[in-house]
Amino acid sequence: MNFITHLLLKTMAFMFNTRPSLKKYLRTTDGWVNFSVGLKLENGKLEQSITFRNGKVSVSGKIANDTDVVMRFVNKETLKEMLKITPNEILGLILHNKMVLEGNIAYLQLFNFYLSLLLGKKHQRMLAKKIKEDAVSRKKEFDTSGHKARGREIADRNKNRLRGVRTDEYVRYLEDPYLSEYSINNFPRIKKFLDDHFTIKPEICTERPRLLTQWYRKNGFESDAEGKLWQPELRAALAYRYLMENRKPIIHCNDLIAGTSTSKEPTGVIIYPDAQGTMIWGELGSVDKRVLNPYTISKEDTFVLHDILTFWTKRNFREYVRDKYCNPLCLSIDERWVYYFVWKSVGISHTIPDFPKVLNKGINGIMEEIDTRLSDKKNTEANIISLTAMKISLEGVLAYAKNLSSEASVLASSEQNQVRKKELEMLAKICAKVPAEPSETLDEALNALWITWVALHMENTNTGLSIGRLDQWLQPYFVKDMEKISTETEKRNYIAHAIELVACFFMRGTDHLPLVPDIGNYLFGGSSSDQAITLGGVTPEGKDGVNDMTYIILKVTEMLSIRDPNVNARFNIEKNSDTYLKRLCEVNYITVATPSMHSDENVAASLAPHGYKIEDVRDWAATGCVEPTLCGRHMGHTGSILMNMVAALEMALNNGSHPSMDWNLGPSTGSIEKGSFTTFEEFYSAYTAQQKFLIDRAVELNNMLAEAHTVLRPTPLLSSLINGSIEKGIDVTKGGAMYNTSGSSNIGLADVTDSLMVIKKLVFDDKIISFTELKKAVDTNFTGDPKILALVQNRVPLFGSGNSESLALANRITEFIHGCYNHHTNYRGGKYTAGFWSMSQHVAYGSLSGALPSGRRAGKAFTPGLTPQPSASKNFLDNIMDVARLNPQHMDNNIAFNVKLMPGLAGKREDTIDAMCSYVKTYFQQGGMQMQFNVVTSEVLKDAMAHPENYRNLLVRISGYNAYFVTLNRDMQIELIERTGYGI
Amino acid sequence: MKEETLILEIKGNSLEDGPGIRTVVFLKGCPLACIWCHNPEGRKPGPEISFDKTKCIGCSSCVDICPSGAISDSHRFFVDRKKCTLCFLCVDACPSTALESVGQVMTVATIAEKVLRDKPFFDSSGGGITLSGGEPALHMEFTSALLKIFKQHKIHTLIETCGHFNYDKFTALILPFIDVIYYDLKLFDEKEHKKYCGTSNTFILDNFIKLTNIADNAAWRILPRIPLVPGITDRENNLNALADFLQHKAKQVSLLHYNPLWLGKNSKIGIDYELSCSKKMKQWINPERIKFYESIFEKKGIKVVSK
Repeated sequence: MNFITHLLLKTMAFMFNTRPSLKKYLRTTDGWVNFSVGLKLENGKLEQSITFRNGKVSVSGKIANDTDVVMRFVNKETLKEMLKITPNEILGLILHNKMVLEGNIAYLQLFNFYLSLLLGKKHQRMLAKKIKEDAVSRKKEFDTSGHKARGREIADRNKNRLRGVRTDEYVRYLEDPYLSEYSINNFPRIKKFLDDHFTIKPEICTERPRLLTQWYRKNGFESDAEGKLWQPELRAALAYRYLMENRKPIIHCNDLIAGTSTSKEPTGVIIYPDAQGTMIWGELGSVDKRVLNPYTISKEDTFVLHDILTFWTKRNFREYVRDKYCNPLCLSIDERWVYYFVWKSVGISHTIPDFPKVLNKGINGIMEEIDTRLSDKKNTEANIISLTAMKISLEGVLAYAKNLSSEASVLASSEQNQVRKKELEMLAKICAKVPAEPSETLDEALNALWITWVALHMENTNTGLSIGRLDQWLQPYFVKDMEKISTETEKRNYIAHAIELVACFFMRGTDHLPLVPDIGNYLFGGSSSDQAITLGGVTPEGKDGVNDMTYIILKVTEMLSIRDPNVNARFNIEKNSDTYLKRLCEVNYITVATPSMHSDENVAASLAPHGYKIEDVRDWAATGCVEPTLCGRHMGHTGSILMNMVAALEMALNNGSHPSMDWNLGPSTGSIEKGSFTTFEEFYSAYTAQQKFLIDRAVELNNMLAEAHTVLRPTPLLSSLINGSIEKGIDVTKGGAMYNTSGSSNIGLADVTDSLMVIKKLVFDDKIISFTELKKAVDTNFTGDPKILALVQNRVPLFGSGNSESLALANRITEFIHGCYNHHTNYRGGKYTAGFWSMSQHVAYGSLSGALPSGRRAGKAFTPGLTPQPSASKNFLDNIMDVARLNPQHMDNNIAFNVKLMPGLAGKREDTIDAMCSYVKTYFQQGGMQMQFNVVTSEVLKDAMAHPENYRNLLVRISGYNAYFVTLNRDMQIELIERTGYGI
Repeated sequence: MKEETLILEIKGNSLEDGPGIRTVVFLKGCPLACIWCHNPEGRKPGPEISFDKTKCIGCSSCVDICPSGAISDSHRFFVDRKKCTLCFLCVDACPSTALESVGQVMTVATIAEKVLRDKPFFDSSGGGITLSGGEPALHMEFTSALLKIFKQHKIHTLIETCGHFNYDKFTALILPFIDVIYYDLKLFDEKEHKKYCGTSNTFILDNFIKLTNIADNAAWRILPRIPLVPGITDRENNLNALADFLQHKAKQVSLLHYNPLWLGKNSKIGIDYELSCSKKMKQWINPERIKFYESIFEKKGIKVVSK
């Protein structure tokens, strides 16, 4: 085997040494690409390395100490497998513990890229074959007859829409707030946008990294052209301004809102090479043919991107930590993926900027504020730099807006269609005015918002940056515009215009996607940017927050039924109306899965211990998935840690070792086989010790990566738009915001609670089986003992069954976890918060985990968020009550409680919606924080698996975010099908 | 000795047994013996054993523990009810709940406690408690005691009845505590009723007439319901006769759509179902036919409603 590997590597070296078409990739703008890759077997019987140095490739039978990355294969079968798989699957080997990577992962990606240059055509053929096979197997497994009727059922929900009546105090102009008379057919412009969205493949865009890298290559990254060390914020701001001045100002065809996130239309994939950008390197040859979520990329762009990425191989957050802290344990744990995921390797994002400030003051107003601040004599050198950097970044935004205005004028002058010509002329005027000056009309406000949004994404990774309380931000402009209108006809026309404008804004939001390597399709299935919008609730003064724009945005949500922006709704029992609640439920019914619903009172209760001012708490909005951020003044990084609670349990069951990872990682807490546990409390202590160990490591890593951000990519633009930063003269990455926290999400609460209940009841309380017997059954995935499996599944009350003991245990666990995080302080001096939602990790972690005492079989998904097991109770109301009675104060980063409702074909629309209203209201009254629906039958989902082409717009809610069902990986689709459905 | 009232099930979150979200209490025992009964395990008032083959893991714990040797793989229904003494040791021993006892003794207080847990949902949806079964009016005193407690807690009450009960007792024990009566009418012809339901329908029709006579001034309302059983109750002459009967007595009727989900139940309690595997019985109701059935009643000025 060693010899064969040596030969293959030598062949590769030969090809690269002799063929000009390959040789050209050995050199980039910075010079020769120099690096080395090692391959070895666990048992030491194989050792080879390949070195690329100064344009020459050589192979050796030894791996030197300074090899950049080493692939350690578990056995020779896996090494053989490497030759048979496509590049997107290589990271999958790591995921399944078949290969361990030592060193810089970007170099593995580079190596894969070179491999793909050799095997490109082969890979493409393999992928094409996979796609075909996948389609055939799906049809075989899931095809059911009568699919046309079921597919129609969802489309039919759009008929017979309910009519609303104006009852909310601050709804001024909509007599039918449900806007039932409108459908997408009234808006042909939007219909075309929607069609493009579902038809045209997204494309990788190199504009952002190209312009930035250009600037850095000319002006230096660590030090400037004179060799002086750069101050990171100044460097970031100058490069940013350059990017904004030089990026292409595009006005999407026929749009009412100017500006695009990338140079590719309708959807571009944005690249952040300092974050996860290098992760796509290895797939550049195959990404357009991969099964899930392919991206187009031109051959030219492939070379350009390769050239760019070589600049960043060491200049990314992950490598900074590896280098500075000498490959710390907490980083190694993160790179095995099953224990936790620390999001800062991808970005911080997850916050909500102060949009009202941009709308009310304009960028010029903000710059004046900075100038005033700069004149303060007490400023330190650092303050001056931070504030100057903010100003420079804002200049970039102004430059971009100006360019858009010019572009609009140019387009207008050559536009033949008179209607469109007028629209372009108006856009030219608007972009000349906003966001520089305060906005005065709805058109201006939405353009200002969008331009600012694009600007923010040019600085910061597009994962979880959220829009906030759009209805509150826009209402004053809607009212202002309406007040200028006198006739009823004009009012009606304006309302239609407002709907269309907001729809344009939503569709603008779909113009970009985060860069997801194929492994991400597996771990974060189907997610887009998750730009959360939050409606309703109360105003900072405590008044009813539901207004005209709330309903207009809901109408757009219903008409478009797209996955992102991620629409969330706050419902305040005291102040918000049943009219509003009913409409929320109707929109969920029509779209299947959106908006997600939050209890205002209970989320506020969860935040109470933080001591925030009440006006600030009232201004909370969902971020990314569900987490609360106090709009415009709070850096919460609410998605910073995704923790696998089940990993801690598995480690407790195995004395610190994780069974799937074969790694003796955690503390020694006792062995079941050796009889270490004589009481339940002793085992519970083992679980908590392992959990604390993992939490402590994750926090360590998060704090290290936070430091990396301050060095590599501080965010002066974002800082200028978050309250506190200008005042303090400090970048948000360093703690400039008024409020600072870091949010965690802890996955697997129901599975852990249920497993511990089984151990407590069957082993220790009732003594029906011994711990050793139970462990043996778990280790054999219950195949050896069906009797134990049956006992475990039928004789123990689960979380969600209404049993007070299991509820108490769940509360005990959330309290413990919250307590663990509460002990820590984050890099910016703030607290850590604990959430219980799961993104799609419940499927990913589930697939990597073994069987559990609860009876869950190996590889099966956990329940989403903290949703109880399907088997917990036949009575859905028991589930609702148990979740509602979890203590909000242990869950200050919110939760996700998933409910799948299955409307009968004969079910009457209004009855279904009324039942939904009742579930939500009572759940909130009983203390529940968040609830989200999927109103769809398993039959429809199965049909969508067999015939995805008929369901391209079928929306589902995973755990906090929306996705198109047909873009999900198979495991996630099956989880959704098997999720308990409650018939209505 | 007076038989104890057995409870089959307390089912929460029902949207089909009355208005709003309801909890349904199913009582065991029924005076009728309809051959299409969707709850055949509710017919006999006494305790029974149920065996669900799909849940059995083949561990034979039951076979080992049975003192009467009543359990065997070779027996058609696994448990030979002729030998079984209803000691229920097998049910205790079964790890997978494939063997279950049908019908639990529950006190009024215990039932009330379970039902009250769902009260917040009744309040927010205009729902409440539904008594069904079997036939709840078969245990008049017990049912009355239950209804009394629910009324004390201001819960909306509904009873689903076949109408075969003592009228005076019903008036005294049930009517004062009931908000809605769902009254099932199956077959109008007495001979047919005897054939398919096991008894005459004289009581049933008489009771209905008496109730509708006093319905106008009552605190409760009554809704007649007709199950549409293929080839039996859904015959045109039956529906016409029932429509004639209802005319001038009731302004509304509910037609229950047939579904075949009950077909596996009889073998679980060791009964051969008397209906041979008729093809009609295995199908869901044809939506086109529903319109036709509804027209029969609408022509006579009776509105067809769902609740």
